[in-house]
Amino acid sequence: MEGRPAGDSTLISRAQRGDAAAYEEIVQRYQQLAFRTAYLITGSAAEAEDAAQEAFIKAYKALARFRAEADPRPWLLQIVANEARNRMRASGRRHSAELRLVDAYRPGDAAPSPEAAAVAAEGTSQLLRNINALSYEDRLVIAARYLLELDVAETAAALGVPEGTVKSRLSRALTRLRSRLEEAPDA
Amino acid sequence: MPELEQQLADLAVAVRWPATPQLAGRIRARISAPPRPWYKGRWAIAAAAVAVAGAALLAYPPSRDVVAGWLNLHVLIERVTHPPSPSPLTSGPLGKRLGLGSPTTLSDARPKVSWRIAIPSQLGRPDEVYLQTTGEAPSQGEVTLVYSARPGIPVSGQTGVGVLITEARGTVDQNFFGKVIGNGTTLEDVSVGGHQGYWISGQPNVFFFVDAAGNFRNETMRLATNTLILDYGGTIVRIEGDLTKEQALQIAASLS
Repeated sequence: MEGRPAGDSTLISRAQRGDAAAYEEIVQRYQQLAFRTAYLITGSAAEAEDAAQEAFIKAYKALARFRAEADPRPWLLQIVANEARNRMRASGRRHSAELRLVDAYRPGDAAPSPEAAAVAAEGTSQLLRNINALSYEDRLVIAARYLLELDVAETAAALGVPEGTVKSRLSRALTRLRSRLEEAPDA
Repeated sequence: MPELEQQLADLAVAVRWPATPQLAGRIRARISAPPRPWYKGRWAIAAAAVAVAGAALLAYPPSRDVVAGWLNLHVLIERVTHPPSPSPLTSGPLGKRLGLGSPTTLSDARPKVSWRIAIPSQLGRPDEVYLQTTGEAPSQGEVTLVYSARPGIPVSGQTGVGVLITEARGTVDQNFFGKVIGNGTTLEDVSVGGHQGYWISGQPNVFFFVDAAGNFRNETMRLATNTLILDYGGTIVRIEGDLTKEQALQIAASLS
């Protein structure tokens, strides 16, 4: 398999045998997801960075008990989210992450990037404004599910709730978002 | 996909996140000391569990047949040839007899623990609630919901109630629950709504646990009945009673 990236299970097996480079590769693969998840929970980039870092250390210490053939994403998400929530509780603060749009397409660019095209799409900034105006819980479940593109099981791991709760919370959050968009379409 | 959901999916590429810090190098530096091989740690913990489970356990050496080890449940389950005799239940109030802590109510217990106490809608509100935050309690405390017998769920000869549901926050390297099971006991991996767990059934098994400081506690050893142990989103939920597997799984599936 020369030249082909090692699978997660291979890397985890190697890390379980003490291969630090293999675990570094795992961190490389999941650090963005871990950081963004922690950012959604803590609302602070600095707290998210600390939470993600400590979570990867805790995951490493617990690696011996992880089944190498299992998908590490929900497992890591759960550890990261626990760490982020613990830090948030310890600090006594709960800030919603302020979500922003990437820089929009500038006239003169040869062709808009997919991001710029999405920003330019009608209603995008209005949609994000209304998401930012939601409650912490509503914003968290919508952002985890759609903006981080977690599946239901992963969202449950990140929120520390059962999958059924994710579905009901998401449904209620979408209803409230829809109402906002209908009531104040230009807000 | 409905329109709003589609718009949200499209929005994913347009969100500007804070720059992701480069953690990989830092993590590697912190873990540079080579860890112990995983099997050594596992056996060391298993040996410690056996060593501290009490003199009775020493009288019946373990078969070294670890039937299930560590998942992400922080559960240690060790099969022994002859389970030790548990400490007899003391007389008196239920909470004292079973070592459940202080009697309380759901509304009083909720603000005192860090997790959202899950209630099984299948059973409804518990008849009694106990909270344990000191002594042999796991770190962050332990809540027990007590349900009396009802149609289909008899009084357990071991606990004296219908169903016991115990919840404690389980975080990595902090809380461990353990069971020493005999050869007449079966153990199965189960999954309930994506939550991983064990179903332990058959002959009564002995329950003990390790506190947050890593000390195995045998003061509360008692016979447990059929038991479902579940990792419920970071909370370890233990459902005990003379239940069938289907009943236990239904109760677990109704947790919210």
